[in-house]
Amino acid sequence: MALAISTTALAQEKTGAKAGFTLKPGTVRIILMRPAISVGSQSTGGMREPNADWTNQAIENLTAALKRTQGKLGNEVALYDEGVSGEGALTSQYANLFGAVSNSVIEYQFFAGNRLPTKKRSKEFDWGVGPGLSQLKSLEGADYALFIHTRDDYGSTGRKMLQIVGLLAGVGVTSGIHQGDAGLVDLKTGELVWLNADRAMGGDVRTPEGAEKRVAQLLEGFPGKPVDPAAPGAKK
Amino acid sequence: MRKRLLAAVALVAATAGVKAADLLPPFTVGYEPTNVDERGLWMDSDNRERQIRDSKLTVHDEELNRYLTGVLCRTVGAERCRGVRIYVMQVPAFNASMSPNGMMEVWTGLLLRVQSEAELATILGHEFAHFELRHSLDGFKQQRRSTNAGAWLAVLGGLSNTNTSGLQLSVIASSFKYNRDQEQAADLLGFRYLAAAGYPTSAAPDVWRHVMAEQDATAVGHGRRPKPEYQDGFFNTHPASARRAIYLEAESKKIGDTGKDDGAARLRAAIAPHLPEWLDAQVKLNDFGGTEYILEQLAGNGWSGDLLYARGELYRLRGNPRDLATSIDFYKGAIAAGYRQPQVQRNLGMALLRSGRPADGKSALGEYLRLLPGANDAKAIQALMAN
Repeated sequence: MALAISTTALAQEKTGAKAGFTLKPGTVRIILMRPAISVGSQSTGGMREPNADWTNQAIENLTAALKRTQGKLGNEVALYDEGVSGEGALTSQYANLFGAVSNSVIEYQFFAGNRLPTKKRSKEFDWGVGPGLSQLKSLEGADYALFIHTRDDYGSTGRKMLQIVGLLAGVGVTSGIHQGDAGLVDLKTGELVWLNADRAMGGDVRTPEGAEKRVAQLLEGFPGKPVDPAAPGAKK
Repeated sequence: MRKRLLAAVALVAATAGVKAADLLPPFTVGYEPTNVDERGLWMDSDNRERQIRDSKLTVHDEELNRYLTGVLCRTVGAERCRGVRIYVMQVPAFNASMSPNGMMEVWTGLLLRVQSEAELATILGHEFAHFELRHSLDGFKQQRRSTNAGAWLAVLGGLSNTNTSGLQLSVIASSFKYNRDQEQAADLLGFRYLAAAGYPTSAAPDVWRHVMAEQDATAVGHGRRPKPEYQDGFFNTHPASARRAIYLEAESKKIGDTGKDDGAARLRAAIAPHLPEWLDAQVKLNDFGGTEYILEQLAGNGWSGDLLYARGELYRLRGNPRDLATSIDFYKGAIAAGYRQPQVQRNLGMALLRSGRPADGKSALGEYLRLLPGANDAKAIQALMAN
């Protein structure tokens, strides 16, 4: 029986960027790809229970929060629009690929103890999705693509009860999953130039205020951002 | 919940013998998910469907899709089939699946293996039955119940210092049993559809007999003794194929004659354009026995060029000296049967070279380059010929 026994939150690095990468404010155009957002709850046994209503709320709140933040990132940020390019399918394949790459970065680079031998040798941040992106007509005129992904499973009442009783029994039980990442891909080379990821994020995405906080956390340390708008309660 | 499901199975079984069309459960057109669990599952399915739609593995062939939809509609009725979208996935294995939102995935390996339209209808009807009986939702709830119970057992066991592993094991067992019961319910409802549509119902047990025959052939091909499973194993998600064949055979005998035309010719015609590609994928699976079995079944009415070429490939890839000699015969047979793809000359040439017949080999390779001057391996072939 898969009972997610906690391995006390391992130390995780949260941000990576290509060595020497900087972004001067006001010089580039960034496309925000369709964010992948999923919200649900976590059953007593640790199963994910997808929740369509919460997900819809989160999409609405996060999109609004992102729109408000767009102007503060130092560079022009526009939403992705497939237009008449007919590239929807290809773009979503790239989004999937980005998801696989960012998961690998988190798993095999950000957790120092779990680092792949090839990623141990230097401090290099060397990841990418291949140069094919530069061929997409629908991304013409843009320099970077920004991918955002969040997953929230709120611990159910039963899970919280189990956690409390587990505490007494000496069985570590985690409650809730709150993960998110944001990544910036250079459209000319396909290189991942910046990634910010956290497997324990704050902000309840089901509320507008929580979504605001989440977006601030996701974009913490975004390259080229003039000042970090003080994210209320943002983790350091 | 399990009781209710078993009751449903019993109901279907009890009413056997009555006219098939009267036995189908009531159906709502344009069903929308009702509660929070179901809406969540549909959301996940919608996301998956978006991915499948955009996937490179999806076979985009309108005509093939029209054929499959046609078979489904004949099987479950025009009204019911409207709620389903079929996606053919390029995967060389025997499987099909159904999502709660009406997305049906059918793998190319399944289309290569079913031997008649009636067998195909058996599978499509089975998958549709999962949809109609809303098995995804029930399965989800059942899984949640059992993992919840397991979690409490683990924690409370820890608290009271009691070993609960036996109890946990029985919870796991009930979970797999539940899944098998769902599969059997879908088999039996699918069977009703098949009968109501006027297909010969002997196709239903035949599907599982062929699955077993292929598994045996695979085992023999790998030098193992075939070990057919007659009983459901502890971790089996589906009933043992033998058991499925037996209870479907019993149903088929009970219901009597429901139709004569199994539509084998229509199925062959529908998959013909894709046959070379699918065979190519099958041949590369390193499953000599199973592939031979499939080829023999497909060649029921005679060996076509496509089939002979695939068989030549199968033998050449196994690569014993005797296999190379056999593959040469099959390639030549394919050419004689009208197979015109240039690769047959290249692979014939390679087999000849490796069989110690350089003159014949080089002439076949030359023929390959003549037919396909711009081949991407032209340089390598030229180098081989120059040796």
